[in-house]
Amino acid sequence: MSSTQQTTQQTSAPETSAPDTAGSDLAVSAANVQKHFGKVRAVDGVDLTVPRGEVMALLGPNGAGKTTFLDMVLGFTRPSSGALEVFGGSPRRAVADGRVGAVLQTGALLEDLTVAQTLRYVAGCHRRHLPVTDVIERAQLGPLASRPVKKCSGGEKQRLRFGLALLTDPELLVLDEPTAGMDVGARAEFWDAMHAEADRGRTVVFATHYLQEAADFADRIVLMRQGRIHTSGTVHELTEGAPRTVSCRWAGSGSPAEVAARLGIALPDDGPAASGDRVAFSVIDGPEASDRLVAALLTEGLGHDVEVERATLDRVFLDLTA
Amino acid sequence: MTAATRSDAALSSPRGPGARLASFVGHDLIRQLKLVESVFFIAVLPTALFLMFGALAEWGDAQVGNGNMVAHTMLSMALYGAVTATTAIAGSAAVERQLGWGRQLSLTALSGTAYMLGKAIVAVCVAVLPVALIYAVGAATGAELDGAWRWAASAGLTLLAAVPFAFYGLAAALLFRSEAAVGAASGMLVVFSFLGNLFMPLNGLLLDIGRFTPLYGPGVLARWPMMEGKVVATDGSVTTDPLWAAVLSVTVWTLVFLGICLLANRRRTSR
Repeated sequence: MSSTQQTTQQTSAPETSAPDTAGSDLAVSAANVQKHFGKVRAVDGVDLTVPRGEVMALLGPNGAGKTTFLDMVLGFTRPSSGALEVFGGSPRRAVADGRVGAVLQTGALLEDLTVAQTLRYVAGCHRRHLPVTDVIERAQLGPLASRPVKKCSGGEKQRLRFGLALLTDPELLVLDEPTAGMDVGARAEFWDAMHAEADRGRTVVFATHYLQEAADFADRIVLMRQGRIHTSGTVHELTEGAPRTVSCRWAGSGSPAEVAARLGIALPDDGPAASGDRVAFSVIDGPEASDRLVAALLTEGLGHDVEVERATLDRVFLDLTA
Repeated sequence: MTAATRSDAALSSPRGPGARLASFVGHDLIRQLKLVESVFFIAVLPTALFLMFGALAEWGDAQVGNGNMVAHTMLSMALYGAVTATTAIAGSAAVERQLGWGRQLSLTALSGTAYMLGKAIVAVCVAVLPVALIYAVGAATGAELDGAWRWAASAGLTLLAAVPFAFYGLAAALLFRSEAAVGAASGMLVVFSFLGNLFMPLNGLLLDIGRFTPLYGPGVLARWPMMEGKVVATDGSVTTDPLWAAVLSVTVWTLVFLGICLLANRRRTSR
């Protein structure tokens, strides 16, 4: 059923030639995309593909190039070099066809219009759009419809931006720090609405500073640093290579550092950390090493009450930004 | 496959480029007309000035050129209103774009060219407002021009001469990037109008200086069907400005405003 709809849509967009080629299964495909502003390499060689239906989080410190990259996906700017396609065509084309919706960072609204006027104003600039009343309902804007934008709170404005993004019933939603400046309640509401959209099979790409949002909501997290993709994967995959913390109540005779050295376990420079009667080893060379340490601690009676903790995403992120 | 299908049935029927432009102009025009403060400065204030200086003035009935003094003041005030409109609309359009609304519209099928064209249409439509209002009030309060064509020609020339002031408003917006700057630029039009011989007849040194200011040329042009270049000073002396001088003045100032826009635009290169 859906494939026939896709075919009809592609006949109306002549640039996308063969229906259902491998290219059109990708919402976004980037190959060595670079963007330079003078000497600044804001995006410095990004290779990335986002399959249809995926929810992907773009995580990284300020200045990592997230916004610059998303601006190119939205067709605001062109890559300095490299190839960037959205649904197998140019980003600008995908946007003009209404296949891409975006929630932009702050600004971007006319203060004097009401919420409903804003939606109608923008709807009129699209080739095709959903009935504005439907969008008002889906973005939960009903009670706000006749309110002037200047009297809306930050969270309410963000909901309006969300509504604007939904106007064309887009296949790809791009969100650049969508919950920046929202309070906890507004954030939860926003992500609830977002979940509903993702469940409809929409592809979602969002940039965020909040690790928990990325961990809770994304199928895949892409970590960006200095204009490049550092790592990508699920939360589990990203934390896989990170240090494990093995801690126990020390009962051995020797010093913990000696034990670690004897077992050939590399520790950070500052050695094992002691607090009270507990000692914590931060094991950086993988799960085998931490297993070996745990086995030795237990069989040789060096420690009791052994705990192993995998690093959190926060830790991975902090290591990245350090 | 459940992924990523747009339910075509729910979407509106396709809208072509012309229909999108019309929709944009319609929405933006209604919005501009609802901005009470700007409509006040664009239409109500010039009309009030006309009533004070023109319709109620004791010398109103005096015949000059191809009409009377009431008509003379009417033409000047209508021009003042029209340039205020084009300055304000162009300036606020540029500020809107810079504040991110441009990005929002970039996410639609409306092209950048259509945006500029649409705003130009909105500006001219809004500029019609003071011209129509002041001409109507003028006609009701004794303004006389010989022949209906002189009314129409003056109105047309007024709108035409007001268009370059879109670049003036744009320059202010590009240089200072705030609504306040656009407001200040509109305010400066009072000074230019005074020096441009629109508010009260100048003479002597002020008139000599005024000839080189941006609103002098448009004033001569807008009043051409009535005055044919003749300028009556406060002391009753009459001088004549040649048509080429007025055209040259408008051209030079247009280029100056355009140049400032280009320089300001180059200054803020990469986004």
